[in-house]
Amino acid sequence: MDLDFTEEQEMLRDMVRGVCSEYAPLDVVRAMEDDPTGYPAELWKQLGELDLLGLMIPEEYGGSGQTALEGAIVYAELGRSLAPSPHFASSVLGAGALSLAGSDEQRRSWLPKIASGEAILTPAWLEPKRGYGARGVQIRAERNGAEYRLTGTKQHVPFASAASRLLVLARTGDGEEDLALLLVDPKAPGIELTQQLSLASDTQYKVRFDDVRVPVDDRVGAEGSGWSTWDQVMHDGIILLAAQAMGGAERALEITVQYTKDRHQFGKPIGAFQAIAHYLADASTEVDGGMTLVWEAAWARSQGRPVRRLAPMAKLFACQTFRDMTAMCVQVWGGVGFTLEYDIQLYFRRAKQLQLSWWDTRYLEELIASDVLDRAQA
Amino acid sequence: MNFDFSDEQHQFLAQVDRFLEENYDPEVMDPSRENMSQLVDTPKRRAFMKKIGERGWLGMTWPKKYGGSEGEGVYEYLLNERLAGAGCPQIGKGVGIIGKTLIRQGSEKLKQEFLPQILRNDIEFAVGYSEPQAGSDAAAMALKAVRDGDGWRLNGQKIFTTSAHFAEWYWFGARTDPDAPKHQGITLFLMRMDSPGLTIQAMPTIGEREITNQVFFDDAWVSDEYRVGELNKGFGYISEALDLERFTMFTFAPIQGRVDLLCEYVATEERDGKPLRADPVVRQRIAQLVTQTEVARVLGFRFVAKSIKGGAPPTNEASQYKLYATTHSQRVANASMDIGGPAAQLRVGMEDAPMNGRADTSYRCTVVETIGGGSSEIQKNIIARRKLGLPKNF
Repeated sequence: MDLDFTEEQEMLRDMVRGVCSEYAPLDVVRAMEDDPTGYPAELWKQLGELDLLGLMIPEEYGGSGQTALEGAIVYAELGRSLAPSPHFASSVLGAGALSLAGSDEQRRSWLPKIASGEAILTPAWLEPKRGYGARGVQIRAERNGAEYRLTGTKQHVPFASAASRLLVLARTGDGEEDLALLLVDPKAPGIELTQQLSLASDTQYKVRFDDVRVPVDDRVGAEGSGWSTWDQVMHDGIILLAAQAMGGAERALEITVQYTKDRHQFGKPIGAFQAIAHYLADASTEVDGGMTLVWEAAWARSQGRPVRRLAPMAKLFACQTFRDMTAMCVQVWGGVGFTLEYDIQLYFRRAKQLQLSWWDTRYLEELIASDVLDRAQA
Repeated sequence: MNFDFSDEQHQFLAQVDRFLEENYDPEVMDPSRENMSQLVDTPKRRAFMKKIGERGWLGMTWPKKYGGSEGEGVYEYLLNERLAGAGCPQIGKGVGIIGKTLIRQGSEKLKQEFLPQILRNDIEFAVGYSEPQAGSDAAAMALKAVRDGDGWRLNGQKIFTTSAHFAEWYWFGARTDPDAPKHQGITLFLMRMDSPGLTIQAMPTIGEREITNQVFFDDAWVSDEYRVGELNKGFGYISEALDLERFTMFTFAPIQGRVDLLCEYVATEERDGKPLRADPVVRQRIAQLVTQTEVARVLGFRFVAKSIKGGAPPTNEASQYKLYATTHSQRVANASMDIGGPAAQLRVGMEDAPMNGRADTSYRCTVVETIGGGSSEIQKNIIARRKLGLPKNF
């Protein structure tokens, strides 16, 4: 039992913290809100140069082949800083799907470019009025000789305007999991992007496909394997998002604790009132507990131990904690917490968005319940 | 980073498991006593703890000089978790608060007299800190000790003295200097529980009936030889011992046991002809509970890991664990009641009680967990000051 990082891991953390504070301080984060591109080019370049875009990409494809634990360390820092970038879409989900199921040709042509930042992949997954499960994917990829034809609408596609390829989950048959993952050029004829303004002011798009032609060779993995690839990549991805949520929660708590030491009412710092101090003590306990749960999930994944239950638990708890404690923090900041001028609202809005995104509370609860309750019967 | 125990630690756990199997006795191992199973309050339970002592498992962290084996605290944690999970009596006040304080502060006479008996589990102790006007504010204790010959004349009252009805010795704090600031006028003493002038009166609880007591001192007398450490330094010793002991005071295994019992119930039972696990509301509640249970577990790991590293006692980690785990423990009990339905109110031994009646026992017994051993509010004050650096707020 040892819950400390190695020296290398500490260095990685310090490096990411440094690069975020230099290239994505909060005034840059604010400037990127609702921006059609949505991330600072200089930050992206730096992440590429420091090998952070290829962090978890295998070395033979130009990455540095690090484990989920290093990934979680990086994501906790991205969460603290709120640094916006397509890292999750491209380096985690896009590269993850290709590493897992892509052909050698696909890996060779895309992974090194993802690792350098030259190419950006982004998943086009969710559809209007549909949920997170395999049934939520209804957009059809009709086979026609050596190509598929795609018609339908995806939404919440992050950073689509900057993407080199969309990774589209599409239906190839009527069975629940008859899905394929397709690499689609967002500039192909028949594709229309519309920016969707959101709670977190991040950059996401609605993508309309009108009879878009996709060569069969651009399918990632065998036909019908799309969902199992996606499910596996998501299980890895949510551990990192959980780290991001806890990083954000940790930072939001830090600035709030400092505020309660500086802000005076009734002749003393408001942190001297138990009504305030006890909120913060509870929050600190849940933040430390949630963070430790995230490290446990990341450590288990890095050791090749099962994470079917741990990964959803980590995201469920981390996002719940981030949401609930930033709501409490806004309350502690009082009236200024409601204004755009103060920073706590940046965390408050992103916390709820992260909780709703990439598998929401209800979906995660069901994954956990199924693992606990249904296995014996299966 | 490593969330697992070492090979040696796993081997030790396997030894404990074997010991529990070989010594299985439902009267000694009774999880339905919930947190009160830790007490060594029957002849069979005493015999069981003597056997634990014979294995050398009572003095694992004590210095060799006093019969211990100078092992790491994590072994005490592992042993207690296993014992607690099985509903066994556990290493408690004797080895912990009392033994460790005597080793650090006690006179040679007290060490000679008590330490060997503790290691053999020949005696049981009761601890008296709380008084009617000194609950969370323990330093307000007022039990009066006035110098009288070679000893001290005692008048006053203690409250919530668990174990007083079966213990041989009483470990308590008394006010020896009424004029000093409240933290600096308290001294610790040991005296026989059957001393003249001591009266014990049961305080039946909604958990078990015979657990805790009031103790009245009417002109009782204790020799100065049974004073522990220096005069008027008692409160410091009390705090120091609590810091060392939070490790073993609130075990996690019983919480995990209750969650497992509830999950097993939901996975296998039916209601109105449909599997209980098909109810989405129940599934949601289970998902939340098992997740929060894991958080409680790893909060415990935080202080275990910090203790292994050595250095200052992990006070903040212990408070965070205690706060979260005991609150969660009540949440689990409440959910067991809700999910068990109307029959969950039935007590242990009732024919139709779901989960062997454990919903009822855990609902009653967990109430005190957020109150005793430093209430949740006290834990929050500790976290606010020591971890967050907030100003003193009381």
